[in-house]
Amino acid sequence: MFQYYFLLGLRSLRRNPALTALMVLTLAIGVAASVSTLTILHVMSGNPMPDKSERLFVPLVDNGSLEGYTAGDPPDDRLLSYRDSVNFTSSKVGEQRTAMFGLAGPVEPPKKEIGVFTAMGLASTSSFFSMFDAPFRYGQAWTERDDQRAADVIVLSRGLAEKLFGAANPVGRRMTIFGSQFQITGVLDTWQVVPRAAHVIGATGPFGPEDEFYVPFASAVRHQLSPNGSMSCAQSVDPGYQAVLDSECTWIQVWFEMRSAADRDELQSYLDSYANDQRRMGRLKRNAPNKLYSMMEWLDYLKVVGNDSHLQAWLAFGFLLLCLVNTVGLLLAKFSVRAAEVGIRRALGASRKEIFRQFLIETTVIGLAGGILGLLLAFGALALIGMQSATLHVVTHMDLGMLALTFTLSVLAALLAGLLPTWRACQVTPALQLKSQ
Amino acid sequence: MLRMQNLSKVYRTHMIETHALRGFEIHVAQGEFVTVTGPSGSGKTSFLNIAGLLEEFNEGEYILDGVNVKGMDDNARSRLRNEKLGFIFQGFNLIPDLSLFDNVDVPLRYRGFNRAERKERIEDALAKVGLASRMKHYPAELSGGQQQRVAIARALAGSPKLLLADEPTGNLDTQMARGVMELLEEINAQGTTILMVTHDPELAVRAQRNVHIIDGQVSDLVRKAPTLVDAHHAQVHTA
Repeated sequence: MFQYYFLLGLRSLRRNPALTALMVLTLAIGVAASVSTLTILHVMSGNPMPDKSERLFVPLVDNGSLEGYTAGDPPDDRLLSYRDSVNFTSSKVGEQRTAMFGLAGPVEPPKKEIGVFTAMGLASTSSFFSMFDAPFRYGQAWTERDDQRAADVIVLSRGLAEKLFGAANPVGRRMTIFGSQFQITGVLDTWQVVPRAAHVIGATGPFGPEDEFYVPFASAVRHQLSPNGSMSCAQSVDPGYQAVLDSECTWIQVWFEMRSAADRDELQSYLDSYANDQRRMGRLKRNAPNKLYSMMEWLDYLKVVGNDSHLQAWLAFGFLLLCLVNTVGLLLAKFSVRAAEVGIRRALGASRKEIFRQFLIETTVIGLAGGILGLLLAFGALALIGMQSATLHVVTHMDLGMLALTFTLSVLAALLAGLLPTWRACQVTPALQLKSQ
Repeated sequence: MLRMQNLSKVYRTHMIETHALRGFEIHVAQGEFVTVTGPSGSGKTSFLNIAGLLEEFNEGEYILDGVNVKGMDDNARSRLRNEKLGFIFQGFNLIPDLSLFDNVDVPLRYRGFNRAERKERIEDALAKVGLASRMKHYPAELSGGQQQRVAIARALAGSPKLLLADEPTGNLDTQMARGVMELLEEINAQGTTILMVTHDPELAVRAQRNVHIIDGQVSDLVRKAPTLVDAHHAQVHTA
């Protein structure tokens, strides 16, 4: 009977075409609005490294002054000082460690027809690439030895490499950035992780474009490169780069990669022990809890998905509800003119249950039509939103899951809207309808 | 075939209580052609609706082909209606956006027949009423008499034991009415029991028996064997 009712549903779309079109459109708009916002929310709050995120940790120790501090308060900063960063990365805790800070500097292209331009990148250690599964198109990361000797080596993004050298493999060539010559050891393939969990804090933010270049942390320090991002200093700092390195200013982010999520306790013990040592040495003043965040906890802590995104999603679902109420009204109108047909079918042997099935399957057909149109509208809406900025472009991609959700949502919405009209249709008194014909 | 004993039907609103049938008694034997007459509001339609399991009754007993229908749930009543009963209405009651084939198909779908059996039954039924060549037509493309023939085909397709007809010629001109009546008589001759409500006394006397209802009760049972004289008399009057 399902097939029979489905075909009747398809036929019914042609009956009252204006009413049907209005219903499908109402449903489609509601579904498109909610799916578009849900897609953005879904992409924004997705796990960028589902296989690894549970064993990648960000440590936070509080090196603030005692002024205005209440004992027990958690660290109010999100970054670490140079001293803590170096201590952490040189420790042997966990599988790998990396420290990083954002950079922005002038690039002098080898082709003279392109003028000098500013590129944004990252100072990190060689372990960064394997910790965050960076995909290499050409070459590889620089070596640990390059880190140790603060070598002038560089890894380029695919975009920057193509801008400077075209499609050719530039590995081994030298390029001028920050006024110095850096040797290219590798070129990354397109690497658009959303959100950019490894480098959330920075000028470009969690949904910004990928970093264009990567240089060794030690090399960036040797060249006294200023961070392109926030730096927080509780106290005044003497002039000079070295003074910043020696200060308690926070501007570096550190990541630990542990063997498994279960090694978190080991890392916490190390962190507590390290902080106690630093307190004994008189460096850390506050008795604040030392925090560890796994990747997803870190994104949550930084409120990568802001309250306004959640609010938008709720509003969109409110709009869908409004569309549903309208659809209920339209379905009531559509089904009320079918009372005679219900009477006939009942007389010919249809039970109330059969009528309920028939009309509910009919609303499913409307839901599917709404889903198809809703999907097209959602794609259109996402494309429009994506055109607003590069950041939005990154988060406006619908995956298969969201595609399936669109149809499910549309059919469920139609079924929900169809419940009352269908129930009303089942209550038709056949005798009355048959006599009145 | 059908037996009602001491049956009553009351319609209640918050203000008024109307007794449509009271102490209603009737027995229709297998193969009979019974006409039901009576003034408007006498309870004819209530009787037919109850007989057709379209309405429930308040008191009494109703046995349909040996099955006591009292207390049956909607599913069981619907199944019984589908298996044992066929309906013909004054207003034809065809579904306008279904072809003749699909209209006749409706009760067979609920019966659960397979595709081949449905097709055979539909073609047979439409052939019986002389509309085999118009299966793909829609009701609006037919005359009133032809539409009523389709309704008869739909009622017959499921091989019902009892055919309930509510003023089946009420909307037809004399010639078409005669054709439909002849078709019903032919169906009855093949063994189907027919219960027909009519306002037309000439049609009423063409049946084997006429039941007259007044104030919700059977007032008079007129047993009548059809004769050639009767048939001729009816033809003269309907011409």
